[in-house]
Amino acid sequence: MSNPILQVENLQICVRKKPGVLILRGVSFHVNAGETLAIVGESGCGKSMTSLAIMGLLPDAVEKLSGTIRFKGRELPITDNRAMRKVRAAEIGMVFQEPMAALDPLYPVGKQVLEVIEEHEKLPRAMAWARVIDLLTKVDLPNPETLAWSYPHKLSGGQLQRVVIAMALACNPDVLIADEPTTALDVTVQAQIMRLLKRLQRDTGVAIVLITHNLGLVAHTADRVMVMYAGNKAEEAPTRDLFLNPRHPYTRGLLDATPNPERASAQGGVLREIPGTVPSIADPMPGCRFAPRCPNASDLCHARFPDPTYEGAHGYACHHPVTDARV
Amino acid sequence: MKPIRRRFPWAFLAKRVAYGALAMLAIAIINFFLLKLAPGDAAEALAGQAGTADPAYIAQLRAQFGLDQPLLSQLWAFLVRLATLDLGYSYVFNERVSVLIFSRMPATLMLMGAAIVIAVIGGIVFGVTAARYANRWPDRVISFVALLLYGTPPYWIGLMMILIFAVTLGWTPTSGMENVLAFNTGWDRVADIAHHLILPALAQSIFYLAIYIRLVRAGMLEVLSLDFIRVARAKGISERRLSYRHALRNAVLPLVTVVGTNVGNFLGGAVLTETVFSWPGVGRLMFDAMFQRDLNLLLSILVLSSFFVILANLIVDLLYAVINPTVELK
Amino acid sequence: MDRLKSLLTAILRDWMMLLGLLLLATVFFMAATAPLFFPQPPDTMMGPPLQWPGQYAGAPLGTDGLGRNILAGLFYGAQISLLVGFASVTVAMVFGILVGAFAGYYGGWIDNLLMRVTELFQTIPQFMLAIVVVAVLGPSIQVIIFSLAVVSWPAIARLVRGEFMVLREKAYVQGCIVVGMSDMRIIFTQILPNAMSGVTVMSTIMIATAILMESALSFLGFGDPNVTTWGTMIGMGKNNLRDAWYIMTIPGIALLLTALALNLVGDGLNDYLNPRLRSQRGQ
Repeated sequence: MSNPILQVENLQICVRKKPGVLILRGVSFHVNAGETLAIVGESGCGKSMTSLAIMGLLPDAVEKLSGTIRFKGRELPITDNRAMRKVRAAEIGMVFQEPMAALDPLYPVGKQVLEVIEEHEKLPRAMAWARVIDLLTKVDLPNPETLAWSYPHKLSGGQLQRVVIAMALACNPDVLIADEPTTALDVTVQAQIMRLLKRLQRDTGVAIVLITHNLGLVAHTADRVMVMYAGNKAEEAPTRDLFLNPRHPYTRGLLDATPNPERASAQGGVLREIPGTVPSIADPMPGCRFAPRCPNASDLCHARFPDPTYEGAHGYACHHPVTDARV
Repeated sequence: MKPIRRRFPWAFLAKRVAYGALAMLAIAIINFFLLKLAPGDAAEALAGQAGTADPAYIAQLRAQFGLDQPLLSQLWAFLVRLATLDLGYSYVFNERVSVLIFSRMPATLMLMGAAIVIAVIGGIVFGVTAARYANRWPDRVISFVALLLYGTPPYWIGLMMILIFAVTLGWTPTSGMENVLAFNTGWDRVADIAHHLILPALAQSIFYLAIYIRLVRAGMLEVLSLDFIRVARAKGISERRLSYRHALRNAVLPLVTVVGTNVGNFLGGAVLTETVFSWPGVGRLMFDAMFQRDLNLLLSILVLSSFFVILANLIVDLLYAVINPTVELK
Repeated sequence: MDRLKSLLTAILRDWMMLLGLLLLATVFFMAATAPLFFPQPPDTMMGPPLQWPGQYAGAPLGTDGLGRNILAGLFYGAQISLLVGFASVTVAMVFGILVGAFAGYYGGWIDNLLMRVTELFQTIPQFMLAIVVVAVLGPSIQVIIFSLAVVSWPAIARLVRGEFMVLREKAYVQGCIVVGMSDMRIIFTQILPNAMSGVTVMSTIMIATAILMESALSFLGFGDPNVTTWGTMIGMGKNNLRDAWYIMTIPGIALLLTALALNLVGDGLNDYLNPRLRSQRGQ
């Protein structure tokens, strides 16, 4: 059943010309065709940097130190801007966090969707425009013919995010990276956007990489979850498995810190926070980066980074994994 | 596929025209009192220009201009004359003031237009280049030259250009608008005028070129850091298209407003440029009027120039709304 | 590596300001020592006319068409440039701050009225207005200072108004209002000091503009006929454009360096006083 379309192997990203200051410390994962992989972690854990690396859009201030990113088996030339242009939107689409700032204020939204099709496919203009209208219809925008000629400032945040999704899917990519696609939106709109993404996935078979810090979102939408902490992969598991049986103490802490009315009584009605703070990316600690905050930490944890352990599809990097299941 | 037409902003236009008219009135009143501030009155000044100090003639002039009337009715008479473009007669130039000014207008507009075009195009080209190579040597060179030009006296740059390009190299004429003795017609005349135009237009544009380079550079750097540029990159769009279609258009918008506010400064600068290059425009006329102490002509030029600036600002505001869809004209 | 680079950039930035300050100090030095080095007034004939720089020992930078010492002219001209530049901007600052402070603090119809008047003055072509003021009141240093102040104040008024509109909403100002402090005291002791950094930067650059405008008036022959300025020197020199171009070139360079110095100092002050604006300036 495993059919990886996107494979990231030992990806290391550092601050430019400072190989000691690592933002990603060797992350490996894969995405299967048609599935939804959620990447979860606190801000600064490297999840957004991972997605930008896949798109070849790393900021000038950082660079790839090592590792490979494979798409359909061949390596992506992520430092070659020209080559990556053919991959972006055509094979891997991306949706960003801030829909209000995601569109050029000076062009009608339809034109900005059209731009994607024009860039990647030689299509008569009328046909390309028909595709734009079709896309806007598919993302549930009202009166697409009129709306296509509206300027971004006339649209709401939810509508704009739909346009951005239409843009990302305009050329039928195989993978869609959604980087916090609902964080900037109202709660009611968030659910609509997530339902839309799932429906589009059913219709087109696109694989979704959902990057978020919101575990509630993950529970309802993702097939598999990868938890990241301070530039490392902490744990990776099928969603249900991860929620019921987290093995990494960080994942456990994260779940216990998430409000959930069904479990409120089991936790004695309080949310448990994880003590301490994330270490600086410049801190060259040799062991597990979570050790200073971990209730189970031993000398071993401080001395050596744990190798990943796999139990079937469930993997974790921890010397002293949690054994008791969550209630 | 057909774009939706935006309705023409009639209400905005009406409001702006009304405000413009009010501003013109205020400027006229300011001018009236400026004239009153001058030692002696207009009659004495005019009589002096006509070369006579005959008290009877002065009294007659006073009556003619209503200078023996109370101040308010004088003001009213002044405004009525202004509204009918009856700006009086210049004894120095033996011509009606309105005719004098309007006959000089085309030359000034041509010089101003050429200077604005040079400054805007140069500002965009060098500004974008500087932004593309931000903090590397092309940027450092462009930014430093812009800083130098910003502090250069514009009339002095004109003289230096004459010295280098006209006197030493002989590439261009030293002064004037055309070679009158050649009796050129048709395209020959156009070419001749263009040849004469190069140096004055360059000299007049230098200061604004410096400003626009700095403005475009800063604007480009700001726009290139915005979210929608990253989104556009994620669409697989080429850097070229990104720079010119998305970044530049957003970065240049503020420039339109700035050019609008600079129109008055261009007119003021024309006094210097036209004097240096003997360019037969309104600026040169103002210099001559000042030199001959023709106060009425001087003030008339100031009033009409201000009117022109108000008109230009109105046009720029409308133009800005046309090219910037996010502006709601109210 | 990056740390070193940012340090170098910082020094370069300061280095530019340092250059500006040095140039400015030189101009002040020239103005202060003019009577010391050149006891004779600058319009006296000091030697044979049209001596090129280095040709005549009595005038290292040469003499003009009337045998006047160009170096002496530069020293005395510095006095006028600095006097006119600083005095006119000071007058403009006082007036502009008053107008801007009241408009920004009170808002409403006061703001509306004051800003309409300010815009009106910005509509009238600056240099033309300065010429007309000089024409009406007569050419003297005082009138020129006044005329340049008349064309300079609106920009300051608008800047101060903007700052006041932001600052008056700040909690500390609201606090002053609540405890019953008088408006005048709030405006001048609470808000104004916080609005001064922007005004200082703008004034520095406006001094350069004022100096250039004064020189332009003198160049056209509309300046005070009793003093020698860099503008008059250029105006005289243009008659010898073909045979003795150094006469107009030297005072032009003096003007350029003075304006450059003030702009460099202004930029440096801006970076120092408003570090948050640095990104907008692209540095």
